[in-house]
Amino acid sequence: MQSADAVATYRVIRPRARRRRSALGRWYRRNERAALGLSGLVTFFVLWQVLSNLGLINDLFFSSPAGVFAAAVAEVQKSRFWNDVRYSLTEVTVGFIASLVLAVPLGLLIGWYRRLSFSFDPWLNFLNAIPRPALIPLVVLWVGLGIEMKIVIVFLGGFFSIILPTVEGVRTVDQQLLDVGHSFRASQRRLFTSIVIPATIPFIATGVRLALGRLLIGVVVAELYAQTEGIGVMIDRAADVLDSGRMLFGVLIFTLMGVLTTELAGRIEHRFQRWRPSANVDLEEGP
Amino acid sequence: MATVSIGSTPLRPAGPGPLRKLINSNERLFYGILGFVVVALIWEAAGDFGLYRRSLLSVPSLVFTAAVQDFGSGKILDDLWSSGIEFFLGFFAAAAVGIPLGLAIGMFRRVEYFVSYLLFGIYSTPKAAIAPLIILVAGIGLESKVILVFLLTFFSLIVSTVAGVKSAAERHRDIARSFGASRWLQFRSVILPSTFPFLLTGLRIATGRALVGVIVAEELAANAGIGHYIEENGAFLQTSRVMLGIVLLGLFGVLLGEGVRRIEKRYEVWRQEIH
Amino acid sequence: MTTSELALSARGVRMEYRDRSSQARLVAIEGMDLDIADGEFVSILGPSGCGKSTFLKIVNGLLKATAGEIKLRGTGKGREDAMVFQDAALFPWYSVIDNVAYGLVCAGVKNDEARRRAAPLVELVGLQGFETKYPYQLSGGMQQRANLARALAVDTPILLMDEPFASLDAQTREVMQAELLRIWNAARKTVVFVTHQIDEAVYLSDRVIVMSARPGRILADIKIDIPRPRPLEVKREPAFVAYEAQIWKLLSQHAVTAATQVA
Repeated sequence: MQSADAVATYRVIRPRARRRRSALGRWYRRNERAALGLSGLVTFFVLWQVLSNLGLINDLFFSSPAGVFAAAVAEVQKSRFWNDVRYSLTEVTVGFIASLVLAVPLGLLIGWYRRLSFSFDPWLNFLNAIPRPALIPLVVLWVGLGIEMKIVIVFLGGFFSIILPTVEGVRTVDQQLLDVGHSFRASQRRLFTSIVIPATIPFIATGVRLALGRLLIGVVVAELYAQTEGIGVMIDRAADVLDSGRMLFGVLIFTLMGVLTTELAGRIEHRFQRWRPSANVDLEEGP
Repeated sequence: MATVSIGSTPLRPAGPGPLRKLINSNERLFYGILGFVVVALIWEAAGDFGLYRRSLLSVPSLVFTAAVQDFGSGKILDDLWSSGIEFFLGFFAAAAVGIPLGLAIGMFRRVEYFVSYLLFGIYSTPKAAIAPLIILVAGIGLESKVILVFLLTFFSLIVSTVAGVKSAAERHRDIARSFGASRWLQFRSVILPSTFPFLLTGLRIATGRALVGVIVAEELAANAGIGHYIEENGAFLQTSRVMLGIVLLGLFGVLLGEGVRRIEKRYEVWRQEIH
Repeated sequence: MTTSELALSARGVRMEYRDRSSQARLVAIEGMDLDIADGEFVSILGPSGCGKSTFLKIVNGLLKATAGEIKLRGTGKGREDAMVFQDAALFPWYSVIDNVAYGLVCAGVKNDEARRRAAPLVELVGLQGFETKYPYQLSGGMQQRANLARALAVDTPILLMDEPFASLDAQTREVMQAELLRIWNAARKTVVFVTHQIDEAVYLSDRVIVMSARPGRILADIKIDIPRPRPLEVKREPAFVAYEAQIWKLLSQHAVTAATQVA
């Protein structure tokens, strides 16, 4: 383009078009994710109901949302239901807290002594790789089919999920920070409380998230296996008599538990991630 | 005038012996094996000396004997085969459908928003709770197991794939846009390579999920497979065999996990740091 | 300056955005008027966060301005501008040659042809022999050379450079500045160079546009009358130091007045 000066063409870069936004429009832009997400959810249920009404989904096997709702209303009035809920919740809480209380101190200890952590690494990884449901028959041999079995299963799931990240957290404490402690002649105990433990907390939070995700499946399978009490048993009994409304209601209860625990775990982890220098995205592990 | 005396350490006349050197260079491996062996020995000793009832945990020697017996007779091989088929069929079906779907969802922001709550809800549901329904509908055969494995793996993969696409470094997408790359080219040259390491991690997690699916399905209603093997032997108080089944599962899980991890490491350079 | 000689002409460019957490309207660029002639090397200099990178992104099309217009002299074929990004902007999964050829591939050139056209540029920036290496195998300076080559490969009349040497250590940085002048001399592009380092701006440019802190506006447009070619030693000469002092005074004065003003 040497001699075309007189007729040089220009590309014009224009500014962003100004659009008058209504209040609704502005609200939408700010909350787009929630708006679309909710509409997705609503669409799902509406579609489900419509397909059920049209007979494209067999009502017997897979109840419509209306059927589930009706079953729900009926169930919450029965005391047996609340008994089952209490049963399941107890398993989860007791098992989880027990696993937390044991796994964290042990993890800190094992992680701190390098040789110890090397020695335990293969066993911990091995045990962690075993699918929790596979341990059920073994645990049954130990404690029978009662609530103890479910608690132990939940405990085992939580224990290994928490201890592994904890060990890793202790092992990967920034050497520089420890150097700072040493240079100020901090005692072993102070090193631990002021450097190691705070540095490990994000890892523990990750472990908690993993644990909460996995323990729910342990609960469900344990209950289905043992057939004593709990929401899992409610599901099974309903399936037996083809009461799909009640069955799906039970599933919904677990969904609720799952959503709450996942959300809670995510929040906890997020809160403790803030002071981590660079977080590796650890993809979600859920039920 | 005070002098601070920093003591003098005499130099060692001779260096560390050859065994010590070997240990130092492979410390992790050495202590790992040592730990493994020590625990196994303690396990054996505790059982043999009656520190606990053998019916609870069995001992390595008995587990080994059971292994020899059952592998020799070939019975357990059928179960392994059965479980293996369920696993691979379900897993690969889920990957074939889930990964492309996850990529598509991740690419389009509005679509991702639309399905986000739905996905979160289904993902948080323990799929095992649906197991009774599936068994009711599909029976006790191979189909119900594959379906359950599929369900568990599928949602795990979709969620991890979407997360992977979202973390494809914004900067790289900007660069592609800056040079005028078409949407398709952006996908091929930036999004896909960027997402790949995250896909691998997602696959590794999914293998664990799939394994759980296999076991759950088999424990609840089956007459073959490792889950069934464990359950049946549990019912007959054959603790050694129960332990054998568990050990085999653990081994499989570890090997699979390690395998994917190796591949992950190879592509580690492609992973973007999230600040 | 007649319009026909202008490579870039900006009028009233303004950039506002809404801060996500406080929901307040922030002004990144207050109103910029800028004319750049063909073949000029112009630096935009200012403190961090003053909107200079934002301006570049608007020109490149990555952002849309709130108001104002920019005219780029058209070539009749392909794009007019190519951007050299700030630190480590190579794709880790492509080799050097594939990275350099990327802009061409985006424009629709076939892979083999693109590589062929990219090869002389790899040589121009001094990376011959490293075509098949991957970014993680290169040093920071080498990566930036590849970054530069990529933008050169698409042969646009205008080159936009967004603090390309920011992540390099002092010595490498100086070497790269001299290298850039050498390459610019060979390639003869119009360059818009964004930086926050005064000596860098004075050393490289024909003109230095000094910008204030946010909200960014042009404080001064200083012509650098130091003859070319400019070896690195020129940085110690009194004329050079005088320019530096002038700009430094301008910036610090403005910072003081800005600080004493009621927000």
